[in-house]
Amino acid sequence: MLKQSIYRSLIIGALLTTALNQSWAQAVKTAVSDSVARKEVPGGLFKTKLPLSTSAVSTVSGETLQKTRVPNLFNTLTGNLSGLTMVHGNGDPGNDDARYAIRGAGTTALGRYNSCKIYVDGFEVHSNYLSYLSSNEIESISVLKDAAALAPFGMSGANGVLWVVTKKGEGKIKINFQGSYGIQRAININKPLNSSDFANLYNQAISNDNGNVWTPKYSPAELEGYRNGTGTNVDWYDEVLKKNGAYANGNLTFSGSVPNLNYFVALTYGNQQGLLNSRNTDSTSNAQFAHYSVRSNLEFKMFKVVEARVGLYARLEDRKFPNQSSNNASAIFNQLESYPSNIYPVYDGNTSHFSGTGIYPNNPYASIVATGWKSSRRRYLQGNFGLREHLDFITPGLYLDESISFMSYASTMYNKTRNYERYFNGAKTTNDQLSSLTASAMQPYGQDDWKQGKILLGYNRQFGNHGIQSAFEYHISSETGEGNYSYQVHMQNISGRANYSYKNRYIGEIGFSYFGYDGYRPGNQWGFYPTISGAWVVSNEDFMQGNSLVNYLKLRASVGKSGNYDATVGNGISNFSTNGRYLYQQYYVNSGSFYTGTTSPTNSSGMGKLFSANPDIFAEQSMKYNVGVEFTLFHKFQVGVDAYLDKRTGIPVIDNTIPSFYAEETKINNLGKMTNKGVDLNLSFTDTYGSFAYTLMGMASYNKNKIDNMSEIPTAFSYNAYTGRAYGTPVGLIADGFYQLEDFNTDGTLKSGLPKPMFGDVQPGDMKYKDLDGDTKVDQTDVTSIGKTDLPEWTYSFGGNVAFKGFDLSILFQGTAGSSVNILSAANAQVEAFTNNSNAYDIAKGAWAYYPEQGIDTRNTATYPRLTTKSNTNNYRASSFWMKNNDYLRIRNVELGYTLKQSWQKKCVLSNFRVYVNAVNPLTWSSLLKDYNIDPETFSGYPALQSFNIGFSATF
Amino acid sequence: MINKNIVIALLGGLLTLSGCDGFMDTKIDTFPTDETIMTNRSTLFSYATAFYTPLRSGFNALDNNLFAAATDEAQQTSIGGNALIFNLGIMNSKSIPQSLYYTFYDGIRAANNFISFATQNKWLLTHNRDTIADAINYKTDKLNYDWYMAEAHIAKAYYYAELIKRYGGVPIVENTYDNADKGNLYIKRSSYDKVVDYIVSEIDQHKGKLQVNWKTSSYATSEGRFSLGAALAIKTRVLLYAASPLNNPTDDREKWKLAAAAAQELISTPGLNYALEKNYGSYFIDLAVSTSNETIFAIRAGASNTMEKANYPVATPGGNSGVCPTNNLVSVYEYIGPVKEDNPYANRDPRLAASIVTNGSKWNNRTIDQSPGGKDDQSVANASRTGYYLKKFLTDNVNLVQNATVQHHWPMYRYGGFLLEYAEAMNGAYGPDAIPEGYTLSAKEALKKVRNRASTSLPAITTTNRDEFFTIIKRERQVELAFEDHRYWDLLRWKDAEVVLNQPVQGVKVTKKSEGGYSYEVVDVAQRTFHPANYYYPFAYSDVVSSNNTLEQNPGY
Repeated sequence: MLKQSIYRSLIIGALLTTALNQSWAQAVKTAVSDSVARKEVPGGLFKTKLPLSTSAVSTVSGETLQKTRVPNLFNTLTGNLSGLTMVHGNGDPGNDDARYAIRGAGTTALGRYNSCKIYVDGFEVHSNYLSYLSSNEIESISVLKDAAALAPFGMSGANGVLWVVTKKGEGKIKINFQGSYGIQRAININKPLNSSDFANLYNQAISNDNGNVWTPKYSPAELEGYRNGTGTNVDWYDEVLKKNGAYANGNLTFSGSVPNLNYFVALTYGNQQGLLNSRNTDSTSNAQFAHYSVRSNLEFKMFKVVEARVGLYARLEDRKFPNQSSNNASAIFNQLESYPSNIYPVYDGNTSHFSGTGIYPNNPYASIVATGWKSSRRRYLQGNFGLREHLDFITPGLYLDESISFMSYASTMYNKTRNYERYFNGAKTTNDQLSSLTASAMQPYGQDDWKQGKILLGYNRQFGNHGIQSAFEYHISSETGEGNYSYQVHMQNISGRANYSYKNRYIGEIGFSYFGYDGYRPGNQWGFYPTISGAWVVSNEDFMQGNSLVNYLKLRASVGKSGNYDATVGNGISNFSTNGRYLYQQYYVNSGSFYTGTTSPTNSSGMGKLFSANPDIFAEQSMKYNVGVEFTLFHKFQVGVDAYLDKRTGIPVIDNTIPSFYAEETKINNLGKMTNKGVDLNLSFTDTYGSFAYTLMGMASYNKNKIDNMSEIPTAFSYNAYTGRAYGTPVGLIADGFYQLEDFNTDGTLKSGLPKPMFGDVQPGDMKYKDLDGDTKVDQTDVTSIGKTDLPEWTYSFGGNVAFKGFDLSILFQGTAGSSVNILSAANAQVEAFTNNSNAYDIAKGAWAYYPEQGIDTRNTATYPRLTTKSNTNNYRASSFWMKNNDYLRIRNVELGYTLKQSWQKKCVLSNFRVYVNAVNPLTWSSLLKDYNIDPETFSGYPALQSFNIGFSATF
Repeated sequence: MINKNIVIALLGGLLTLSGCDGFMDTKIDTFPTDETIMTNRSTLFSYATAFYTPLRSGFNALDNNLFAAATDEAQQTSIGGNALIFNLGIMNSKSIPQSLYYTFYDGIRAANNFISFATQNKWLLTHNRDTIADAINYKTDKLNYDWYMAEAHIAKAYYYAELIKRYGGVPIVENTYDNADKGNLYIKRSSYDKVVDYIVSEIDQHKGKLQVNWKTSSYATSEGRFSLGAALAIKTRVLLYAASPLNNPTDDREKWKLAAAAAQELISTPGLNYALEKNYGSYFIDLAVSTSNETIFAIRAGASNTMEKANYPVATPGGNSGVCPTNNLVSVYEYIGPVKEDNPYANRDPRLAASIVTNGSKWNNRTIDQSPGGKDDQSVANASRTGYYLKKFLTDNVNLVQNATVQHHWPMYRYGGFLLEYAEAMNGAYGPDAIPEGYTLSAKEALKKVRNRASTSLPAITTTNRDEFFTIIKRERQVELAFEDHRYWDLLRWKDAEVVLNQPVQGVKVTKKSEGGYSYEVVDVAQRTFHPANYYYPFAYSDVVSSNNTLEQNPGY
């Protein structure tokens, strides 16, 4: 599969290239200069010129991100940064965050995604702040990957850093207005069976449950009714969803520079309407999201030696959605997925009462039109202020920099809700009463204040052949918030980096962080994290000068230590629960209740430990090793390759070494170990062909890991264990086809010699499993690895831009390989048919069944176990049967633009005017999608979206 | 130099912010900490309650239902889950259904914790308290302190009794992990007899400090905590188990005598006031278990309908036909009159009608008709596979659709069962009829009390043979204590499990006769398998391998 994907990508890439080469012949020759020397590598404490950098960093510009025209900034990162594994978010307006991971899973202390830290303009932020930043205000986003790049982050750096820089003003005044409008629609919707198919299969299922005796629930007359359309057959998706939602986005930026002042001001507005077929009225609402933001980045030269920076940012986010149990639209999609077509019509009989029953209480159509709405408002306010003093009067190159940042976040909810009566066949079926629209009081929904301050002393100087760039910083951070818990997080970090270069050929860098975190016992709060790195710019050696083949060649290596104080371990003990942050502190809780008394016993509570405190608990450690090479050939072909090893030790895990007869509560201990390895690859090729200029790019990342120790409770056999496998490897039984009639004795018992499954009686058509340990029983000792983790081993992307006269065309393909999905758990409602009154989908049509008198015999062709209406722990459990390959390749974006000719523009006072058409996620290749109608990134719930946009950009 | 001043001001500001000692001390404690628990005397009593909370009622002993489905008493309707592991005899060290090992050791930990904490912190009783103005509460707290101290030892005795019933000898843990010798964490198993001695000595040492009878004391709201009566009942049962064939292969009479003496102690102790409830059937319903003088020790709970939901026939809205009595059990209820051809359930020991819903009887507002086409048609999915439904413990006509609830309290030790234990111990020690010096009842007299309460028309017991009488007691226990989580353990300790639990369980197939009435055909419903290794539970594989070779696995696992 992996090979196939790669071949496929290569073929598509080749086709694309030839197509571009052939179609537009005339061209203006544009000089393509080698940009290496001018490029800078962003990072903590200071940015470095690319040739002098010893770090592994990949960077993307805001312009590139704009090509993926989606509301959420995270979703634009996909395919644009090597070393970053992304899973696109679903399409729920305002709830569409992607999942992201830098260099693989890293640690077992956290989920495999979203563990890295995010810094914007040098200050740490939460991911929700970044979600709806506009790519227009982004200068660049970098992924800091290796020890050298992460040196200043110490105890918080082990899982990588997303380093975001917003735009600053420069040059002549520029006013830019951009507008785009698009329609968004579901990439894919897996619709359930219609009533006729549903009823036919249900008859099989119920007969299977009644000892394989044909005992249909639906009579031939009912089946005929479903077939000819007189029976109830509701396509709930059609009732509840419309084809498209609209997305509009506008940006206005002013930027430029006047003496002593650089300014960049951006206004952003975005509005996304969801797929629900409900109008926006006082009593109903589509799922929708609007955001408004303003950013102002100002830089003043105050005195000869002092520069000041002011960065102000404010954003409002308004979400609104039909009133359901969930605080987003997901509850409606749960209903759509799980309510069969034949349960009832939208309205009961000829009345205007909505249908509803005890089993299916929430009529999906009523859910969007008769329940009112909920709205959530979030506010972000950020103010950064900085001063820089150039202390050249003390010694040239010395400077001091102080900065502070205040970030405030608050969320509130406000609802207008009502209820409706559920009817079935003219009778009320639930206790729900009709109620009129009632407004709720505003409810607070969490807030967070984050104050940070930094003092930095820097020194940059070139003495002849010796160059030095260095900085030392003290960073203090205080975050306080209230949500489900009240919390306070305090950190201090003293860090430094010093980069020394000799003749721009030999570069050595040391870095360190002395990091203090308040979550550990006083006296045990500080950790020291040193790094060392070096580079050799071979192309700057005399013997390489003027080499026409190799224009640039650099070798890099880095090694260093970093830490990770984040952990979510056992019993939901996690960072932002106040109790979970202080694992060294003993807490007590109610330990259950006990009733005493005679005629009306009452209960009292016992008390016990919440967890077993560990005074020595500390941050996990990461030793990172990285080697890399960067080179440019023919001034056209740029290549960067990095290989890394990341050894984690002291990962907090549940300590299973305490004998169980002490009945001690969970103790978290730094016992875990994990090894991560991988490769990042970047390629780009820039050239002109006749009158057109083009760039082709490609990148790939490979990540692999192994759990060396997770204090796992010893398993019977090593193949049962999680230890020794990649983190997140699914463990389950090996499916071995279905039981056939021949496997059973006449009394229905399994023939002797066949391993007996321990999950309940089986009958023909049930899933058969391999008895790995050969003890004639199929049980928990027969489980082993049944697939790959949800985090793909490979992520890759490729694409290109071509410019021809005023036209430009760009495309980005992105894909992953080496991951699996358990469809039974990831898309349970679509896979597990009928049990607990659930729905059935196409997949159930392949069920094993044998009713010769009814003409049903799928014994040899079955692709799904025999159907049942009861819960079935034998068939519906983790096994290789439900594991599916989740490799995919997508066109993430394709854009065709046209820039007006200079002469026309001049007439309209425009300096630049460009129009474009753009598509996001227009095409997907995925076996999961093809075979099971399940999207490879969004398995269930609100579907993933594709969008088709038009827009323009005008600069004055 | 304005800028310099700014620098100094900012530097100073930042350093002040960080310089204060408290900056890295951010704890916001939402839960009690070591500090806060030491300011509150309720800690003492919360710690005391903690050794009661691991007590488990039999209502959720196996797959959230009665343990009966593991035995020949009943058959689960939707098989699966843990009952199947018993039924198929496939228990192994990697899958131990409802082992309760951790639960019981948690109770032991809580008791050890209370004893050490309360011993060191008795001062909490007077802490922040005016002992004169608050004299009455202070006195009550002091009394409770002493009672709890003794109860903690009884709790340990109880939990060890439950452990050895399942595992044979187990490690005796005298300290919590915090107080344990960290260099010597692993404790070896003590032998079964050693643990029995330990249990008996815990009870004998501390029984004198227990409340004699909560119900008749001024502290009736504490009924449900261990009392002197409960302690003596625990001791009796432990010694009876120790004297039983499984643990007493040589039939050592001295062991029987110890059990008999313990039982007599309970009967002779003044103030206990135990007596048989007049009506056998109603004793198990609603709050009777909580209030009746038949109860020696019961686990109480809030009102619920879990039992009714689980065990009402599937034809009753909300019912799930959970565990259904077998014909194996029904057939041992004696006749008290002539056998009726068309109704095998007429003229039977009234305990049958009190415990089991039979075909043609009234239940859930209808006459149960399990014949084809009847409301309770056996061929309907999830109908009883045995032709019987559970009745004991269930209140009739609870409206499950409206989620109505009733009380259920679990009788752990009751006088009816105790009398049978007395009879068994006396018979083992002295035979059916002997009343040695210091004893007040013969085995036969004790048995008779139980049988007479059920019905005075039951056939008289006349045997004078010790072995025959033993067999009679076994049958009587099966009937009197049906579904009370005794059968499985009785079969183990009598070493009868290899025979009884290797026979199929049976039910009846009900058909309506054309001339009216029903006919019943006895059919096999499900298999039972029992291996000799199953006389003890296995220790969990993970516990064995992580024990530094100190935890010896039971043979056969």
